[in-house]
Amino acid sequence: MSDIKIDQILDLKGVPCPMNFVKTKLKLESMQAGKILEVLLDDGEPIKNVTASTKEEGHEILKVEEKNGYWNLIVRKSR
Amino acid sequence: MALKKYNETELLDLRTGGVLKQIQKDYFILRTRIPGGHLKAEKLKKYAILAKKYGKDYVHVSTRQGIEIPWIHIKNINSLLKDMKKFGILKGACGPRSRNLIACPGSSVCRFGFVDAEKLAMKLDKVAFGKEVPKKFKVAITGCMNSCAKPQENDLGFQAQGEPEVDLDACIHCTLCAKVCEKVCARGKGQPAIVMDKDKKPVYRKENCYFEGDCVRVCPVSAWKTKKVGFKVYIGGKVGRFPRFGTEIAEFVEEKKIPKIIEKSVEYYKEIANKGERFGEALDRTGLKKAKDKIL
Ligand code: SF4
Ligand code: SF4
Ligand code: SF4
Repeated sequence: MSDIKIDQILDLKGVPCPMNFVKTKLKLESMQAGKILEVLLDDGEPIKNVTASTKEEGHEILKVEEKNGYWNLIVRKSR
Repeated sequence: MALKKYNETELLDLRTGGVLKQIQKDYFILRTRIPGGHLKAEKLKKYAILAKKYGKDYVHVSTRQGIEIPWIHIKNINSLLKDMKKFGILKGACGPRSRNLIACPGSSVCRFGFVDAEKLAMKLDKVAFGKEVPKKFKVAITGCMNSCAKPQENDLGFQAQGEPEVDLDACIHCTLCAKVCEKVCARGKGQPAIVMDKDKKPVYRKENCYFEGDCVRVCPVSAWKTKKVGFKVYIGGKVGRFPRFGTEIAEFVEEKKIPKIIEKSVEYYKEIANKGERFGEALDRTGLKKAKDKIL
């Protein structure tokens, strides 16, 4: 898993729902299909909501991992 | 246009068919029904025509997914009803009859829905609406545990639920399912239905599950799926002057059994209730056991 090549990073720590998802969505829209985005999110509602919504939009989630106090969500943009 | 003479059935239809007296002399309210709350935009325009022509150019949207047109003068009722029929607008009920069956959108658009409650409600209108009963009878269908259509406040309520199952091979060990589950369960049973084992794999304990599907929604790789969908059934709910929550009598009832359950509930209500009594009030006297035997 450590060989995932991250193309873009979006730091959304401290950004509340649903703005964190909106920003994730806009970022993904600006990227090419197949590119990989890493999103940093707060614990609690942010990681749950952004994960569920990003999946519902049809993107592929490669990794969800807790780092000290916040979360890493790694997404591959779909077509 | 020649005036039509009304026969007995039509007169009864007029009295029972959703025309209510207004507080103001000579004025009436037309009550219509919209099964499942699903209304085509084209038909909405027809409502506008009727409200302009017969009322005061506005409608009242009721809490029972109906549209009411107030300020109909008594001399215009007949032609209004004719126009209404022509437009395919359905009458609502008043008096001792079963009411419009209400529903949330369910899975037609809602991300929480297990079933398309709206479509189901449209199909069930025939079975549920306009039956003669001791007082009134209300049915509601809701697409998930969130209960937007308030099944517990109706004489008969159906609430969709889904049993989840997990494919451990697909799991990427993120622990999110256990986190959402803990939150749901903490508000009720206390014990979570998902706990992570020492290898960060989810272990499911069905006896603690609320069947609302948060794990299915959150899982990033769709390792959790909905295995089985059914309905919780509540009977005897009402609001009014003396509110009473419906009592749960069954879980995971199949969709195809719903029409029979509606029919049998109406039948049983008529059998046990005195005139003017609601289902829940009658059930408080006669008990749940017999009701379950008769209805399920
Ligand atoms: S009850 Fe559930 S399915 Fe129906 S509208 Fe509410 S959240 Fe959506
Ligand atoms: S559906 Fe059951 S297992 Fe899944 S989150 Fe809800 S309570 Fe937990
Ligand atoms: S949410 Fe899905 S991937 Fe994450 S631990 Fe649960 S089953 Fe595994």
